[in-house]
Amino acid sequence: MLEILKASLSVYLPEVVCILLMCFLLIAESMHEKEGTDRIKVYVLATAGLLLAGVFLVLNLSLAPTGAFYNAVVIDSFGTFAKLIMVAGTIGTIWMARQSGDIYTTMKSEFAILAVGTLVGGMLLASANNMLTLYLGIETLSILSYVMATLKRENSASTEAGMKYALYGGLTAGVMLFGMSHIYGMMGSIQFSEIVVKMGMLSGADQVFMMASFLMFFAGIGYKVSAFPFHMWSPDVYQGSPIPVTAFFAIVPKMAGLAVLIRISHLFFSEANGMSSAWIGLLHVVAALTMTVGNITAIGQDSVKRLLAFSSIGHVGMMIMGIVVLDAVGIRAILFYGVTYLFMTLVVFWVTSVLSDAYGTDSQAVFKGLIGRHPSMAIAMIIALFSLAGLPPLSGFVAKFNIISVVVEKGYFGLAFIAALNSVIGLYYYMKLAKEMVFSKSETTGDVPGFTDGVRVSIVALSVPIVLYGIFFGGLMTAAGNAVIFLK
Amino acid sequence: MISLASYLVISMILFAIGITVMIARKNIVAILLGIELILNAAALNFVAYSKFVTQNLDGHVFSLFIIVIAAAEAAVGLAIVIRFFQLKETIHIDEATQLRN
Repeated sequence: MLEILKASLSVYLPEVVCILLMCFLLIAESMHEKEGTDRIKVYVLATAGLLLAGVFLVLNLSLAPTGAFYNAVVIDSFGTFAKLIMVAGTIGTIWMARQSGDIYTTMKSEFAILAVGTLVGGMLLASANNMLTLYLGIETLSILSYVMATLKRENSASTEAGMKYALYGGLTAGVMLFGMSHIYGMMGSIQFSEIVVKMGMLSGADQVFMMASFLMFFAGIGYKVSAFPFHMWSPDVYQGSPIPVTAFFAIVPKMAGLAVLIRISHLFFSEANGMSSAWIGLLHVVAALTMTVGNITAIGQDSVKRLLAFSSIGHVGMMIMGIVVLDAVGIRAILFYGVTYLFMTLVVFWVTSVLSDAYGTDSQAVFKGLIGRHPSMAIAMIIALFSLAGLPPLSGFVAKFNIISVVVEKGYFGLAFIAALNSVIGLYYYMKLAKEMVFSKSETTGDVPGFTDGVRVSIVALSVPIVLYGIFFGGLMTAAGNAVIFLK
Repeated sequence: MISLASYLVISMILFAIGITVMIARKNIVAILLGIELILNAAALNFVAYSKFVTQNLDGHVFSLFIIVIAAAEAAVGLAIVIRFFQLKETIHIDEATQLRN
């Protein structure tokens, strides 16, 4: 008993560090004496703790896949890679929250505490190996996210965002649980490995019933990644929440949801039979519709936050394409996409955050003539936008090219065609924003106060990998390629 | 003798009522109640399957977790509804129209 606990904890260190960090952050915040001053200690502590968790994650990368806590969670390099992306996203958004005026000064460490807590939920989800841990992970992620969306509590838009998130979240979690309960009844276990064994022995009628249960199961995960029929909450929540929270939502819950969707698809549906072709068909339709709906609705959005919400829906559709092929190359493509998407998202949201703080709105008009006032910031933003659109030689192009080539190799030409069309649509609205920055005349002159030296350095530093991974993608590609091991 | 089928029918009815409440009612607290009904339908399923089919404790444990998490979710949900009421002085879902296309 004790031996098992010890062995489990030794591979579960990153999560343990994050949980302890959450407690310490709470203590650090309560020891903060001067109201309304900068909490540098909290940021140093949060960064140090998350970096420590990152170090343990990197050490876990080379580990052979092991089950921990009686196989309730599985530690493999695929899940660890996804967790690394989430940890990096959390560090980035915590520092973004430090300078953001969108979060009340007295609540800034609450953002850090909640973000670390949500991260723990995401990590649990990314390594879930039975239905109970999966449900716990999703709910830890969701419940803390509802609070984060409502962080700006005197603001009715933020409250409305949190409420919509909570109501949609409760509904999809309930539907998912209902599906899970039937899967449990049919298979007699909540452990993934035992369900897989029994799934091969199902009769035709049972398979249909099982597929219906899996459809309900998909509702819960689809909601977390904001896939097509469950994406309606996402633009509203993104627009209403404070910007650092929006950036956080665009990275951490999405990566966690994608990780669990990948794990489920590969565990349950990698053998060719009626059920797996039904699941692949479902993912086909979901991927195509998610991309198309996201990109088409993004056209004509004036609020930049809302535009980025729709664009992130489009990107999720693109990443789901990598799951459709159900092989290791697809996972590699998704992980690479995840890393590049992390940097692009951080840059775009950070610049938007500073500008919307300065002008009190996140309309596209605040970007007018940015190149004349802050050339470095405008160039970083344009690089990130071009990369999101998938233009060479930036990393977004490599990521998109990878995914599409994987799909083409499998012979899904229709899906590849839809993806290419979507890239063109995406190009239009990203270019429009870039055009505002370069060719429009600015209504005001002078520096934007939020672009302090520290912020400028951070944004430029974050935009460097976008360019570098577009040219020297070999190393990251190999790292992502090594991280595709599963415990069956 | 109560059979598995009766439990499943009851839980199906609970689920349907929950969904209907969520769609039809405009009061946010009533919508939260609808979520509870859906969660309870799932919990009932887990216990029934555990007793009649699988004969192991997984289902019982799962339903306990559902109860705990449902309570946490309701607490956060109600806190948000209270904020909403303080800002808008109503808990009618149709008043939540600030964010839309």
